[in-house]
Amino acid sequence: MEALYTSPYFGVALSVIMFGIGVKIQQKTKSALCNPLIIAIVLIVGVLLIFKIPYDSYNVGGEIINMFLAPATACLAVSIYTKLSILKKYWLPIIVGCIAGSLASMVSVYGMCRLFGLDESLTMSMLPKSVTTPIAIGVAQAHGGVVPVTVVAVIFTGILGSITAPLLIKLFRVSDSVAAGLAIGACSHAVGTSKAIQIGEVEGAMSGLAIGICGIVTVLFSMLI
Amino acid sequence: MKIIKQIGIIFTVCWLSQVIAEFLPFEFPASVIGMVFLFLCLLTGILKIEHIQEKSDFLLGNMAFFFVPAGVSIMNYFDLLKNNGVKLAVICVVSTVITFAVTAFSVSFTMKLMNRRKK
Repeated sequence: MEALYTSPYFGVALSVIMFGIGVKIQQKTKSALCNPLIIAIVLIVGVLLIFKIPYDSYNVGGEIINMFLAPATACLAVSIYTKLSILKKYWLPIIVGCIAGSLASMVSVYGMCRLFGLDESLTMSMLPKSVTTPIAIGVAQAHGGVVPVTVVAVIFTGILGSITAPLLIKLFRVSDSVAAGLAIGACSHAVGTSKAIQIGEVEGAMSGLAIGICGIVTVLFSMLI
Repeated sequence: MKIIKQIGIIFTVCWLSQVIAEFLPFEFPASVIGMVFLFLCLLTGILKIEHIQEKSDFLLGNMAFFFVPAGVSIMNYFDLLKNNGVKLAVICVVSTVITFAVTAFSVSFTMKLMNRRKK
């Protein structure tokens, strides 16, 4: 039986299949709640638990997929570069917004972690939860956080942000599309950006820029702690 | 060959970033060094967007897939989630609202200042 799951192909194939199922489900339901990543994680954990396959066997293939995280992060540079003209036009509000937003996120998370008496490693896992997953993983790793907790918190925050974005815009009476876009990107990274694109072109572009810039700002601030 | 070349360029950027990260006196995520590094290469014209377009579209378009294994490792931390799950969820919700409000207000304020100066 073991021969079935000892090769790296097992982990890669299982991941691709389950993620594919997740994408199909999202296309059918068109709901942000049916996030393909969450569906894939739940299905894979289910398969591993039911068939009593050790996590380490799955992760032989998982390591290969992990290898693409750094290149994917690096390519965020391409998405910033293609928006260079609007970055130049709105550089001041973008910088101000990303610094203020990243600080607000980190300070509020840090404060609540202390309030709830969470330990150092959990605090470090939660701290980068508003930035895009690959950067958040990097921050958590560098400061002794528990990476999977970070991944779950980041995705949960992203889904939360993309669902509540229209509501928050109304609640805080945000009339400016630059402000709305940056706010969505600052609190809910790439998942929120997909919603921002639906709200409007400016919102989408701003939200996309906020992903990379808030990421860098968060990395810099996390070094001060 | 085109795709191989693009993979080569991006992986070289990541490899050099990893080396740079090793030599820095403080902890800094190598992936973010890669991002800054690639951005500077594009800005200075060392790399043209055509050199990496297809590979970068592939990586950005399928970004979520690359997090699957990192997420699956949550199964090693079920106890941690069972004990702290509610607290962590509350933290996520509250800080999302705070982050949204602070960002939106600071940007609106900056935009108003800029408009006033123009007039």
